[in-house]
Amino acid sequence: MIFREVELRDLIAKARRGHVEAYNVLISRWEKRVFNYLLRLVRQREDALDVSQDVFLKAYQNLKKLDDPAKFPAWLFRIAHNEAYSLLRKRHPEAELTAEPRMAESSGGMFPIESTLAVRSALERLTDDQREAVLLKVYQGFKFEEMAEILSCPVSTVKSRLYTALDLLKQTLAPVNIGGVE
Amino acid sequence: MSCSIDDLKAYVVGEMTRHERSAIEDHVRVCQNCHDELDRLNSTQSALASLEDEEIPRRIAFVSDRVFEPRWWQTMWRSGPAMGFASAALLAGAIVVHGFERPWAPVAATPSVDTAQIERRVEAQVNERMNAAVGKAVNEAQAKQSAEFAKVLDATQHRFEAQRQADMASFLQADEYRQKQMARLEVASNQGPAQ
Repeated sequence: MIFREVELRDLIAKARRGHVEAYNVLISRWEKRVFNYLLRLVRQREDALDVSQDVFLKAYQNLKKLDDPAKFPAWLFRIAHNEAYSLLRKRHPEAELTAEPRMAESSGGMFPIESTLAVRSALERLTDDQREAVLLKVYQGFKFEEMAEILSCPVSTVKSRLYTALDLLKQTLAPVNIGGVE
Repeated sequence: MSCSIDDLKAYVVGEMTRHERSAIEDHVRVCQNCHDELDRLNSTQSALASLEDEEIPRRIAFVSDRVFEPRWWQTMWRSGPAMGFASAALLAGAIVVHGFERPWAPVAATPSVDTAQIERRVEAQVNERMNAAVGKAVNEAQAKQSAEFAKVLDATQHRFEAQRQADMASFLQADEYRQKQMARLEVASNQGPAQ
């Protein structure tokens, strides 16, 4: 872990000096994670890919503004968050992205048996904010403080969004859980 | 420890210290409701984890574009020796330029210039030079003219003298011929009456 942190600092330092190959390595380490985060957030493959490219372009252009290289992951996902929400606002300019969560429908056997489809469906039932909280915590493993930085909101708001999402997911995924995912 | 569903969620998502985790684990052993709730949360977490990451359809490869390469001035700026050389070259250039350039005089130290006086002085010098040049030219012309006049006069005198001498010679010759004729007539008159 320490070795990877040192390596990350080294790669970022080289990329800041204009070493394209160093930044190439950084991209290869993070492109899959960023792409999947964006894919689950914007829910369209081509859009996710386009935004991913924009994210890494902006990251390179602003790499000198990154104060602490150790914060690169959260910093990168903050750029991804901003880019994704920029796209979502263009798609639905009238929608309030921080709307109250939609209530889950009855889960009485109406979801696909295949757990992947069920999970996707359950995630899509969340609001964008709730879904993003789940993506950052469950799939990307960020701490609450890092999530607060990425989302530009207090830790309490992060907790609220995540805990509400977990409640909704718990209800929605109950048939899957009963079927035994583990 | 009292029942707290938020604590159970924090436990599931890994936002608890080791001590807090131990407290939760102790609590769910004795609290059936929290035990069941923790099971449901763990199952939800497991279901979410079953969603695998997708491979990216195509690699993000735009980093090889020139837009990512440092500009020439960035490369120059980052190069210590190059910057040192450039600084030395600039300094040398500044010294050379300063050497050839006339130093600036402060405005306050500049003496006031009487342009009218300068114009008068220049005009006087011009007039003086013009008069000298004109006088010289006139003198040269007069001298040349006098020389030519003397030359012509001399030639005329020579011509008149030659003409006079020729006339004189002709007169003497005619006078000699007349005297001879007179003498011949006188001889003839003296011989006539004697026959």
